Amino acid sequence: MSIAEAQAAELSLERPSGLWRDAFDRFRRNPAALVGVSLVLIFTIAAIFAPQIAPHPPNQQVGPLSTNPAGPGGGHVMGLDEQGRDLFSRLLYGARLSLLVGIVSVGIGLAIGLVFGALAGYVGGWVDTVVMRVMDLMLSIPSLLVAIGLVTLLGRGMVQIMFAVGVTTVPIFARLLRGSILGQREADYVLAARSVGVPGRRLLLGHILPNSIAPVIVQATLTMATAIIEVAGLSFLGLGPGDPSLPEWGKIMADNANRLESAAHLVLFPGFAIVLTTIGINLIGDGLREAIDPKLKS
Amino acid sequence: MPLLSVRDLEVRFFTRRATIHAVNGISFDLDAGQTLGIVGESGCGKSVSSLAILGILPKAGRVTGGRVMFGDRDLLTLKDSALREIRGRDIGMVFQDPMTSLNPVLKIGRQITEVLFKHLRMDKHDAIREAIALLERVGIPNASDRLDDYPHQFSGGMRQRVMIAMAIACRPQILIADEPTTALDVTIQAQILDLLKGLVEEEGMGLILITHDLGVVAGVCERTHVMYAGRFVEAAPTDLLYHHPRHPYTLGLLRSVPRLDASQKEKLIPIPGAPPDLTVLGAGCSFAPRCPYATDRSREVTPVLEEIDDPSHLVACWNPVSDADASAVAVPVERGRS
Amino acid sequence: MTEPSRTLDSGRQENLVEVEDLKVYFPIRSGIVIERHVGDVKAVDGVTFEIERGETLGLVGESGCGKTTAGRAVLRLLEPTDGHIRFDGQDISHLSGGDLRRLRRRMQMVFQDPYSSLNPRRNVTSIVQEPLRVHGIAKGAEAEERVQRLLEVVGLPLNAGNRYPHEFSGGQRQRIGLARALALNPDLIVADEPVSALDVSIQAQMINLLEELQDEFDLTYLFIAHDLAVVRHISNRIAVMYLGRIMEIAPSARLYERPLHPYTKALLSAVPIPDPHVESVRERILLTGDLPSPRNPPTGCRFHTRCPFAQRERCPDEVPELRRLDTGHTVACHYVEEIESGRITGRTLDTTDPVSVPG
Repeated sequence: MSIAEAQAAELSLERPSGLWRDAFDRFRRNPAALVGVSLVLIFTIAAIFAPQIAPHPPNQQVGPLSTNPAGPGGGHVMGLDEQGRDLFSRLLYGARLSLLVGIVSVGIGLAIGLVFGALAGYVGGWVDTVVMRVMDLMLSIPSLLVAIGLVTLLGRGMVQIMFAVGVTTVPIFARLLRGSILGQREADYVLAARSVGVPGRRLLLGHILPNSIAPVIVQATLTMATAIIEVAGLSFLGLGPGDPSLPEWGKIMADNANRLESAAHLVLFPGFAIVLTTIGINLIGDGLREAIDPKLKS
Repeated sequence: MPLLSVRDLEVRFFTRRATIHAVNGISFDLDAGQTLGIVGESGCGKSVSSLAILGILPKAGRVTGGRVMFGDRDLLTLKDSALREIRGRDIGMVFQDPMTSLNPVLKIGRQITEVLFKHLRMDKHDAIREAIALLERVGIPNASDRLDDYPHQFSGGMRQRVMIAMAIACRPQILIADEPTTALDVTIQAQILDLLKGLVEEEGMGLILITHDLGVVAGVCERTHVMYAGRFVEAAPTDLLYHHPRHPYTLGLLRSVPRLDASQKEKLIPIPGAPPDLTVLGAGCSFAPRCPYATDRSREVTPVLEEIDDPSHLVACWNPVSDADASAVAVPVERGRS
Repeated sequence: MTEPSRTLDSGRQENLVEVEDLKVYFPIRSGIVIERHVGDVKAVDGVTFEIERGETLGLVGESGCGKTTAGRAVLRLLEPTDGHIRFDGQDISHLSGGDLRRLRRRMQMVFQDPYSSLNPRRNVTSIVQEPLRVHGIAKGAEAEERVQRLLEVVGLPLNAGNRYPHEFSGGQRQRIGLARALALNPDLIVADEPVSALDVSIQAQMINLLEELQDEFDLTYLFIAHDLAVVRHISNRIAVMYLGRIMEIAPSARLYERPLHPYTKALLSAVPIPDPHVESVRERILLTGDLPSPRNPPTGCRFHTRCPFAQRERCPDEVPELRRLDTGHTVACHYVEEIESGRITGRTLDTTDPVSVPG
């Protein structure tokens, strides 16, 4: 190889950068994504350090019982609820629940959905047909109804709720991964790996999956947001966690829906919490998609 | 007076990371009935030049210098509304990939008649008749039936013919074809090139054919410009260019391309190195790093297109190659008769 | 039809690869809930050829001719629907499992698209050493050392190993693919359009590299391409395919000087030659119409619908056999002799006057 070639080659190489590193850099430079990260960070810190941050325990009565609870002021940043409990403290502890819900239900959805998706996408044939028809069936029923059904069946504990919501996300991940795998399965580099003699399992785990997982990651973040909303929705419908003392955001809103005129703060503040958290997660999800996508195309 | 006169055209792409100097001062004339070839590899700026002429550069691209005289008007100064009149009516363009250039959800007939309505203000009946005539002219069988077909119902070669039909619908004075046959099979390519040549002759259009394929240019164009790193390095009547190349890059290209009619013993002589990085526009000849004839002057002073041998033959080189070097180009082996 | 492969004194087979009546059909399925098998795309429909040890056999044809499918079948990336493939004397048509994996060490592929043939999430070292690891040939430091040597052989800079594919140019990526193919020291390399996606000035570098490596590593090539000029340059013999069948096989020089099959004649006359003088005087055979689809190929001789010499008898209903002629050509045409002697003349399809077509 001539000097010219070597030089030309050197010119194009700076420091080694994997696709993940590039994606991370792009993500870092995306202002919207950073806003999302900030929001979610606040929410996460609130959740983890609730005991340290909260001025009062979530279920302690620190004010008068009242049908017309006081709004913000008098030492209570967000006011009191009808049982005299500090709303701010309750919301902080509620953040824990929402964080847990987001992570656990998406975790369940991923665990089951990825297996189905990989089977359907990689094995193909009748396995694919059967799995996909089942997923179609699940998707044809509104997820909230599925969740309601499961909760009714299993009971109203937090665990059951997270499971129910998690199950509703399975078809989304399964479909997504299957589609992604189908796209990668016929790619030249996979054929190249086959021609080299790479056996099936290694092909899937070492080549296809790493290149198929990106859209799933993006979807997982967005699904966390919808999971949180769904649990709030269940609470709103009266199917939330049975324990009345749990400061689940949606439940707080539901319990006080009829007090909108007199004690709007009891609806608005938890509502804001849900909205801000969801926006934060969505911004991260979008940022991830933008960061990862350009390379997916090349 | 030439149909089209381009002077010192410069195009830059402004991206967040860097500025790309895509076209760095090219000039040429196109006469009526003339076939002009612009040949070069990918990234040399040939396609960008044609997009700039028609004012359809992608968002990041901007013309930063030069004039494009069409008649007595400078196309670069015209507003988009005026350019839209010219595009399609006076200057037609054919692109490489007919699948993305044709609207996949509209019938072919509609796409052609649209052009006729817009530019020639034909009424519906006349437009349909003309569309059929055009499709027949470009060699599409059962033209009247095919008006109702969608692009995906045509093969690649047929789609390209449809593109050509649309491009010549208004009998433009100039046809610009950017890699029109690159995506086609070789026997289809031959048909399309034949079609283009025929149309140009019949209509007296000026044709600018942009391609990387030296063989295509040899078969179609009277005059050829060789482009490298955004500049013309050589311009000459095609015959002169191929048989008496003067620029080391032209020579390099000719020697590195396998010829069907060459003796198999001929070794390919590749051009070492790789095309330059267009984000830096240094002084000196852009080809110097890869050129076996480069001198200090080549690296410091940018060569200018100058006449050599003949007023029609221009070269931008401080050390043009001699005929002796040029004779190293592969010699054809005569095909025997049975 | 093929003569049995002769065994040379050294005990090795003269023919490294023998393909006999190979058919590869892809089923077409249609249906709403349950898909039914409604037909086949006959990508390769009865193909026979041999590749001698150490030679380069070029396989050319236009879209839909089946050359890529044939190449993949030879590598057993696909299973033949019918017919036989023999590698070094062994019938590999239906090998599977461990046997197939062991076979892979002896035959490798270089792909067309430098952008999609490398796993974008792995670095160069990982890509090139994978063959070594999968077959347990080397790992760790030894593997890395072998990778370094391979990278050197294909002309990549020494620090390329840590980089990722997207950091390289198209030509460099092809070199990486080549290094990967060489890692197992195969006997056969199937190169599927290895230079089509590269710039003209880089193509020559790659072609020369392939030729050097062939000498250095004693390789046999199946070179698949649509660019006849490139194929002609690098191949010892060329097989011309059309719609899943072979039309002609001949030594390169002879194929060019004296093409016998009408399709070969047309193909050669359509290839542009970078010489304006030659272009202006050469005789062209322009085929009319499109390439038929492999889903619905013409009956009889696949080429008869576009053939300037097609006759009413035999051509539309009888599939021509591949015949070996004294001249060294192998041709599948009913009327080769008549065309050569001038008894049948070609005609352009839009005039009724027969036009004499030069041989």
